[in-house]
Amino acid sequence: MVGLSVGEKHFIQGGIAQDLRTDGRRRLTYRPFNVETGVIPQANGSARVRLGGTDVIASVKAELGKPSPSQPDKGKVNIYVDCSPTAAPMFEGRGGEELSTELSGALQHCLLGGKSGAGAGIDLSSLVVVEGKVCWDLYIDGLVVSSDGNLLDALGAAIKAALTNTGIPKVEVAVGASGDGLPEVDISDDEYLQFDTSGVPVIVTLTKVGRHYIVDATLEEESQMSSAVSVSVSGQGRICGLIKRGGAGLDPSVILDMISVAKHVSEQLMNKLDSEISAAEAFEEES
Amino acid sequence: MEFVSPEGLRLDGRRPMEMRQIRGEIGAVAKADGSAFFEMGNTKVIAAVYGPREVENRSQQISDQALVRCEYTMANFSTGDRMRKPKGDRRSTEISLVIRQTMEACILTHLMPRSQIDIFVQVLQADGGTRSACINAATLALADAGIPMRDLVTSCSAGYLNSTPLLDLNYVEDSAGGPDVTVGILPKLDKVTLLQMDAKLPMDIFENVMQLAIEGCKAIANYIREVLLENTKQLEYRRGP
Repeated sequence: MVGLSVGEKHFIQGGIAQDLRTDGRRRLTYRPFNVETGVIPQANGSARVRLGGTDVIASVKAELGKPSPSQPDKGKVNIYVDCSPTAAPMFEGRGGEELSTELSGALQHCLLGGKSGAGAGIDLSSLVVVEGKVCWDLYIDGLVVSSDGNLLDALGAAIKAALTNTGIPKVEVAVGASGDGLPEVDISDDEYLQFDTSGVPVIVTLTKVGRHYIVDATLEEESQMSSAVSVSVSGQGRICGLIKRGGAGLDPSVILDMISVAKHVSEQLMNKLDSEISAAEAFEEES
Repeated sequence: MEFVSPEGLRLDGRRPMEMRQIRGEIGAVAKADGSAFFEMGNTKVIAAVYGPREVENRSQQISDQALVRCEYTMANFSTGDRMRKPKGDRRSTEISLVIRQTMEACILTHLMPRSQIDIFVQVLQADGGTRSACINAATLALADAGIPMRDLVTSCSAGYLNSTPLLDLNYVEDSAGGPDVTVGILPKLDKVTLLQMDAKLPMDIFENVMQLAIEGCKAIANYIREVLLENTKQLEYRRGP
């Protein structure tokens, strides 16, 4: 996929070792990014995030469903990611499926917490309409339109922005319709409930190249990585999820070090993202 | 159902011979050799072109012309009801084929023997006329990639409902079951490269509807030419004196 000569590889590795990367960034600097909300009017919420050459779209669709019997007081959230062949010819046909599955899995780990729903970044109990009977199912779809590295962080940011943009219609439950059947519900057309997304974590991926690690790696830098650790950190500074990718082993002390760095970086990222999202929302309301 | 009100307005407030708002933008995908974003009302598509490059699968190589490939994909969120469709269903395959044939007709393939050109179109939002929007986006992306072409191909659809010919059907009008004529033309050469119709129409009405679609194509061609000129001006400006 990425064809690099020996000289280019040395240049990338040397730059990272000297804290000056090929595009002039330092090791822990993100590329400038841009958030646009409401790009898919048919969805309940959507956002497009452009991070350098990486371009992803996230959309949230809500459907009424039945909560699972084991968790009657919680709604359901599904995350799927699709890699469009426009991003790279290798995603043609079923070629993108492997990466799509990996990304979907990683996002589910980072945003939805465990099976019980504990530690979820999204408050699942706010999705319940009638306990044990009706709840909202959220379908979060990510689409990679253009890929230039660091897809996971970009998708995480896009999902957070899309959830902030999401309006769930207010539901009136008809009184008296009890019993075993599904209660009748009346979906309001003009009243919407907004989500509290302050708890939704951001994902910071630290990519280890040589002896150092960097954030927001480009595709070229990713091709030189030995391993990568993705940490999802909530607004309160809590770690919500952790994934290690890549072949090489990591020293446990390095991992702890990486986590504390990720936590530090996530604060800046969270602030930047929040201001970008509110700017995008304000822009959307204006136009 | 009434698709044209007595005042002569359609469901979305357009006149019968009015097109939806169109918008084209060059350079949607940074890594591609050429790319474009095209919007017809609520239908939004992205096209990316990779190539001309070495043929990946040697057995597909053609010794005297370029191999053109096309893939059409719809995003999960592109339709009103979210659905998880397996990739490569029949409809997508058919549209891929239609787009490939249409674009192949305008690319000067004999200039690039033993090479391959990939066209990928991604539907972000579908509201009728995705075929046309994809072809228009692909034309822009091919031009952006600097691939030699005979002419720009542009496409537009027209239908016939409530005894009125309608230009550029949206999803509601498209699914009404009336005839839907999709036309693709080479505007400078004045030739038709794509013509598809479902349902039946009397000959004389068909002529009118097709003429209307051709007029739509020509309007789109003018717009696409403007977008390309504007883009070239920008590039010239950035290059400096």
